Amino acid sequence: MALSVTEKKLDHLNWPLLLCTFLICGLGVWNLASATKNAPVAMWFVQARWMFIGAVAVAAFLTIDYRHLSTLAWPGYFAALGLLAGVAFAGKKVLGARRWLQIGSMQIQPSEFVKIAVIVLLARYFTKDETGARKGQYGLQDLWRPFALILLPVGLVMKQPDLGTALVTFFIAMTMVMFAKVKWRDLFILLAGGVGASVFAWARLLKDYQKQRVLTFINPEAYAHGAGYHAIQSVIAVGSGQWSGRGWGEGTQNQLAFLPEQHTDFIFSVWAEEHGFLGVLMLIALYTFLVLAALDVATNAREKFGSFLAIGIAALFFWHAFINIGMVSGALPVVGVPLPLFSYGGSSVVADMLGIGILLNVSLRRFMF
Amino acid sequence: MLIRRDADDIREIKPRAALGALIVVCAMLVLVVRLYQLQILRGEEYITQSISNYRKSLFVPADRGMIKDTKGRTLVDNRPSFDVFLTAAFCKGKERDEVFAKLTRYLQLTPEELERLKNDYQKSWLSKDKLDRFRPYLVELDIPRDQVDTLEAHKTEMNCVDLIPSPHRNYREGASLGHVLGYMSEVTPDEMDDHPEYRRGQTIGRRGLERRWERELRGKDGRENIAVDAKGRKLDKETNELLIPEAERLIASTPGNNMVLSIDSKLQEIADQTFPGRAGAVIAMEVKTGFILAMVSRPSFDPNQMSGRMRRVDYQKLDEDPLKPMLNRVMNENYHPGSTFKVVTSLAGLEKGAISPSSTIFCNGGYTMGNHRWRCDKPSGHGSMDMKHALQFSCDAFYYALGDRIGLDSISDMAHRMGFGQPTGLDLGREITGVIPDLKGLDPSTGSPRSHAINASIGQGEINVTPLQQAVAYAAIANGGTVWKPQIVRRIEGPDGHTLREFAPERDLANGHDGRLDVKESYLALVRSGLVAVVNEPGGTAFRSKLPDIRFAGKTGTAQVKSLGSKQKLDPTTQAYLSRDHAWFAAYAPAEDPEVVVVVLNEHGGWGAEGAAPTASKVIAGYFNIKKEESARGEAANPFAAPGPPPAAAPDPKMAVQ
Repeated sequence: MALSVTEKKLDHLNWPLLLCTFLICGLGVWNLASATKNAPVAMWFVQARWMFIGAVAVAAFLTIDYRHLSTLAWPGYFAALGLLAGVAFAGKKVLGARRWLQIGSMQIQPSEFVKIAVIVLLARYFTKDETGARKGQYGLQDLWRPFALILLPVGLVMKQPDLGTALVTFFIAMTMVMFAKVKWRDLFILLAGGVGASVFAWARLLKDYQKQRVLTFINPEAYAHGAGYHAIQSVIAVGSGQWSGRGWGEGTQNQLAFLPEQHTDFIFSVWAEEHGFLGVLMLIALYTFLVLAALDVATNAREKFGSFLAIGIAALFFWHAFINIGMVSGALPVVGVPLPLFSYGGSSVVADMLGIGILLNVSLRRFMF
Repeated sequence: MLIRRDADDIREIKPRAALGALIVVCAMLVLVVRLYQLQILRGEEYITQSISNYRKSLFVPADRGMIKDTKGRTLVDNRPSFDVFLTAAFCKGKERDEVFAKLTRYLQLTPEELERLKNDYQKSWLSKDKLDRFRPYLVELDIPRDQVDTLEAHKTEMNCVDLIPSPHRNYREGASLGHVLGYMSEVTPDEMDDHPEYRRGQTIGRRGLERRWERELRGKDGRENIAVDAKGRKLDKETNELLIPEAERLIASTPGNNMVLSIDSKLQEIADQTFPGRAGAVIAMEVKTGFILAMVSRPSFDPNQMSGRMRRVDYQKLDEDPLKPMLNRVMNENYHPGSTFKVVTSLAGLEKGAISPSSTIFCNGGYTMGNHRWRCDKPSGHGSMDMKHALQFSCDAFYYALGDRIGLDSISDMAHRMGFGQPTGLDLGREITGVIPDLKGLDPSTGSPRSHAINASIGQGEINVTPLQQAVAYAAIANGGTVWKPQIVRRIEGPDGHTLREFAPERDLANGHDGRLDVKESYLALVRSGLVAVVNEPGGTAFRSKLPDIRFAGKTGTAQVKSLGSKQKLDPTTQAYLSRDHAWFAAYAPAEDPEVVVVVLNEHGGWGAEGAAPTASKVIAGYFNIKKEESARGEAANPFAAPGPPPAAAPDPKMAVQ
């Protein structure tokens, strides 16, 4: 029986999703090789190795029913919180922010895994919550618990400070709330609360450099010397790509280091400069396909938990891609958000691969029970 | 089963997922539209910006044209020197502070200079034009040799600092020709707006010939374009060649053209050295062409100093000097001509028929009209005077009477014909007109028309002239009636020495008589005989300045200075100086077939015969000495004369193929 199940599994694997992931990974490594051409170490290789490790983990994970994740939701959540607390106390400080945790020779960025943990926990919450299920609809009084659950990790990430990741985590959670049966009236109340919270955050919580970023976004010319310089150089890089780009390894903004952080947050600018509008269209199409495929998995899942997991992962990819591309093309303020499977970084790559693994697993098991 | 199947709940998710998918597609389309706008609609603009990011233009300054004297001796050339420039875009934050500290140490900047450096840096960043921060700005001009060596040694530590070789002007004659040559100073932002070929920190001609002939002298800057990375580091040769098209890598500079002046530096030196006054002017001009051989305006400024590093106190000193060193007295200040003006009254009287060459006027020591008496120089009276003797002894009473007979308008008409009352047309910048009053323009409250005529007859009252106008007028008397437009540039030569433009003598067509006096030769001859007598006959006012071997002619003048009054609080020495009369002497030589006219004005020099005539005499002697020496050396035929047209270029082989 085991053999036939495995054969069936291969048939039922979500091949389009897998293919799309491979394409993004391949282009990502290729693009990274250009962005880090002048680096002393082969960063593209390091990245590819993490992708491979992620892929192996995914393959292993596919043999287990994803529903077991439900039991891991709370331990995973607390583990993630623990790591974040570890960062807060023992984290490595780089450029004024504590985001990394040194474990042996490895550095991990716990905030990347926090997103997955939050997705799993919220999926469990909205599946199991008896009060919501009983009423058929969620009211505000039912939502305070999930809010409390996400505010803790989001607050810790914000503290690092890492505004981008905190925002994305929050957006992912909000997206999942939208998919639970929340009354429209309550959504409006939430929206108003959000605006109020933003005002409070501006006045009390945001660091000066974070405020600076927002101000810079509103009027980049005025801050050209400092923060706005990144935004301007990024837009120049993107714009100078024109139709077909300047060719792999030929982008002057990238190669001559006018582009800041060109291998992490601004990796899309490298792609846009060197491959132009046509390359950009292709990449956006791939990300759009990935998100739509995830939503498809959600609608076709056999049960609520898998469905919510898929929605969470869809939100993860969507918000990362949208905010990152919007940021580097000057349509959104500069916040540090990686482009999934394109930006350099082991933690982010492994977390993204985990997300893909969850999607594949949910998709696979819609035929199995 | 861990969880019960709940198909109903999944069904609930479907419409929300569909809405989600729609939102996702719309959001992504928004990004696509934004990217289309950036990459397709505005792509060209961003390409330009990305190119200007890595492209660094190093200027290859053109050699400014030289200025030579009439014999081909160099008056102004260029000496090698280095300027320090800084490009703000290439040093930021901590690096910037380090660079400032290093520059302060290596260049020994004063706190004031450091402040300016910081301000300029700030300005570069805050400029609306974002490319401004990539434009190098001047830190320090013309640094000494040892600082050049220090900076070279530390060059790699400061990518944003460039040491640009830029030839600086070397004015060999110092202050003597300051007003003729002018000087150089940094272009202002306004000037750069009008002339984009100038870059920040470059110099432009100020005053004199440097300003007037800026276009000819400047030449065309070349430039070297190189590619740099975000830190301003030069890229390797291969990348550089890839990024900068070959045609744009090095654009050679074109040197400016050379000016050959009519100034004779030896005569200039004599004029400058023999002039004793604290303030005044000396002009020597060719009688037969109007070319200026020497031109002194004192006090002057040293163009080397003005073109170099001027501190604020230096400017302040120049500005506050009561003698106004920046004023070109040759053409921008006017004075009563005093008795030198009597030649005008003489010619006007003769032409009007108010006096004949042989008729006389009796001088009893003054002239009375109504109840006012004008006193003559000699209180006891000159007795019976004809015109020649009236000039020789400078008898005022003769001219009072003559002026009264012919009236103001006759005098002013003759003055205008001689070039007074209007600019002479010397092409050396701004020039004032002087004042020649006529009846129409007179204010009746300032006195009767007759009294004005009497005052004007001896060059007092409203009459005001510039030393340059005097030179033109006396040259016209000497040369038989041609009123020249004075000139100072003989020709413009290309960098290779061939003549591009030759200046021919020009008559002053603005005098209303086609550049001629339109006076009978016999009248001019009579005036000339008087001027010869002034110098060469005993009793002549300049008899003491007579030269043993050269007969020359001239006229003294002593211009009364308005009393200062007591409103100015000056020390007695200065007070005494400022109350003295101006001394004039206008002369030409030789007396027969004159070649050179010399005008000397010595401000507060007292009597013309004492304060001005000796200088003129020495300049005339100098003129003929130089001539004698040169003809002895066989240099009479000017060896620096234009070498004729350049050799015909060999036929272009490419043309031959056709």
